Amino acid sequence: MADAILVPQVGQDLTEAKIVALNVKLGDTVAKGDIVAEVESEKATFEVEAFVAGIVISLPYGVGDLAPVLEPLMHLGQAGETIGAAASAPVPAPAASSVPGDLPQAESHPPSAVPAVATGTGRSSPLARRVAVQNGLQLDRIAGTGPRGAVVMRDVAAALQAQPAATSAPFALRSGTGLKSLQAGTGTPVVFLHGFGAELAAWLPLVARIAVQNPMIGVDLAGHGAAAARAVAGFDALVDDMAQRLGEAGISSAHLVGHSLGAAVAVALADRGDLDIRSMTLIAPAGLGPSINGDFVAGFVGAKTEGALRVWMQNLVHTPERLGEAMVRAAFAARTGSATPGALDALARSLFEGNTQLFSIKPALQRLACTCRMIFGAQDAIFKPSDADGLPGMIGVHRLAGVGHLPQVEATALVGRLIAETVRSVA
Amino acid sequence: MARELMYREALREAIDEEMARDPMVFIIGEGIAERGGSYKVTEGLLAKYGPKRVRDTPIAEAGMIGVGVGAAIAGARPIVEILYVDFTMLGMDMIVNQAAKFRLMTGGEGRVPFVLRTQGGAGGGVAAQHSQSLEALFYHIPGLKVVMPSTPADAKGLLKHALRQMDPVIFIEHKHLYMTKGMVPDGEHVVDFGVADIKRAGKDVTIIAWSNMVPRALEAAEELAAQGIDCEVLDPRSLVPLDKAAILASVAKTKRVVIVQEAVRRGGVASDIASIIQEEAFYELDAPIQIVAGLNVPIPFNLALEKASVPQKEDVLAAVRRCLHLEPKA
Repeated sequence: MADAILVPQVGQDLTEAKIVALNVKLGDTVAKGDIVAEVESEKATFEVEAFVAGIVISLPYGVGDLAPVLEPLMHLGQAGETIGAAASAPVPAPAASSVPGDLPQAESHPPSAVPAVATGTGRSSPLARRVAVQNGLQLDRIAGTGPRGAVVMRDVAAALQAQPAATSAPFALRSGTGLKSLQAGTGTPVVFLHGFGAELAAWLPLVARIAVQNPMIGVDLAGHGAAAARAVAGFDALVDDMAQRLGEAGISSAHLVGHSLGAAVAVALADRGDLDIRSMTLIAPAGLGPSINGDFVAGFVGAKTEGALRVWMQNLVHTPERLGEAMVRAAFAARTGSATPGALDALARSLFEGNTQLFSIKPALQRLACTCRMIFGAQDAIFKPSDADGLPGMIGVHRLAGVGHLPQVEATALVGRLIAETVRSVA
Repeated sequence: MARELMYREALREAIDEEMARDPMVFIIGEGIAERGGSYKVTEGLLAKYGPKRVRDTPIAEAGMIGVGVGAAIAGARPIVEILYVDFTMLGMDMIVNQAAKFRLMTGGEGRVPFVLRTQGGAGGGVAAQHSQSLEALFYHIPGLKVVMPSTPADAKGLLKHALRQMDPVIFIEHKHLYMTKGMVPDGEHVVDFGVADIKRAGKDVTIIAWSNMVPRALEAAEELAAQGIDCEVLDPRSLVPLDKAAILASVAKTKRVVIVQEAVRRGGVASDIASIIQEEAFYELDAPIQIVAGLNVPIPFNLALEKASVPQKEDVLAAVRRCLHLEPKA
């Protein structure tokens, strides 16, 4: 015996409802409780629930059709069962088996609970789809104003405009904390952790190449940049300090991007578990192998002039020309007139001993749950290229030929793209 | 500097200048010498260049086209004027099987610098056999170039280029355009094939149109501008070769396309341009590509029915509003 699912009474005095989504087609098997369709009145949509199980044996309407309320929207029955005239022409007389008490009456969604017309059907223009995906927007959350509720560009543009207002000032990035917005945006923030001896401003050229809509926040490691005064000793203290400052800033969930020492801090942060890490992109991470180029660390920390610093910094890149003068000057300026040289030296001694890294992230990587991508320069002169071997299988590894310890400088566009893809892949 | 000329005067200047420049250029056609041509394009040329280079023919299109193709193969630069594009059908074997194929079949040694000038389009109640827009037939044949100027300047520049290049050209004028006026640059004015022209720059919708649909699209664009809709009107000028890059660049800018062709909808050039856009710029599109085209009917003699058979300004207005997802009327 076929059961009729009726078009709900969507409004007080409305006689028809517009079908905006059909989630089933003829012959589909429906379970009790499945949402089989959405109908619309004015600007509210109502889900239509199957109150029995069965196979769809009649479906007289299409998306966009107007259907009289309290009339059969579809019939459910057994395989091979047919329904007579009711299938093709819904007539006012309700099917005998439909009991008024079974009506999925309006699903009791108050109209205000459905602020936007959920199109549900995936109707959208190619441009709207592309822009929505690029900006991490979900199309089915956007009210469509195009033909038959299709989401078109103006709807995506409106959603993009509306978003920042809804989530404005989400983080407490106070000056002096060593946290700084690199780019405003919406959604889960992407937090950047720089390497030993650098500071958050070094990320700026890369940030411009990362096509995501999320906010991007740079953090100075303790003993660096604006956090130079935060003297810490040892890797664990460095991680604790970072966790504390992120927490104080109200960052509870983040995508992490880390370089070298910052990448190791990122892994340790994820291992602590008090921060919801959505994804990690780790560039030339420290803490994988025991070896480090100790001469570099000593020379880099001890350089007293810009010229000496330049000589040591050339070890960071494979092609010396890629090390811009501006980078050297900025690095040198950063360590004069602040507490950095002393803090750096103390930190270096607590992290490295000669050619040895005193910490390892390998055990933490084994426990890592989030999406993780690592980018290595095949000509890295600070760590051993073999650091990229033997990593857990779920970590994506990119080895870039002709690139040293700074892939974000020597392959900026590619690294930017990989970060964007990582972030978007878990959006 | 530039002067205002009529479309037919601009065409005459092109023929005149090229005949003066190149003694191998000659022109044959029905009534083109003594009468100066039915649309007065060739007026005065007989007196200037004599009956050997400006020659009347009998009403024998197949023979005329055959003479032209043969002369081109032999090294001359013939212009054959066919009074209505409808009558080129009599010479299709020469055009399609000979002129279009010769270069390839001779391994590139034989060239056919043959220019067929003709005119098409509806207007004035000249009925089904004198009103067709047949560019798609030639567009379909590899080896032919198809040119459809919409302004006096383009008419002159493109015809001069046709007479300087080495492949068969189907040069289709429009009977409604001969008396239209426009500015034509002084001095040498040559327009290469395959270079589209933005007749009106805009940011909201790209209207692609050629020949007599260009002025119609411009009229529509003016009316839409008053409604705050900023249309770009792109005239490909030559359909083969087609300036794909310009089309894709415009689509990337506006995200919406209306293609207007006077020819019947079925199997038309507009459909082919639309297929190129959807294939190469799909993710730029914010709306389905709209094609405004003639109905799939022979053009009726009755003037009201003739008008109903080919795109009017109102059709363009409606298509633009459709692709902006707006209500049909402002």
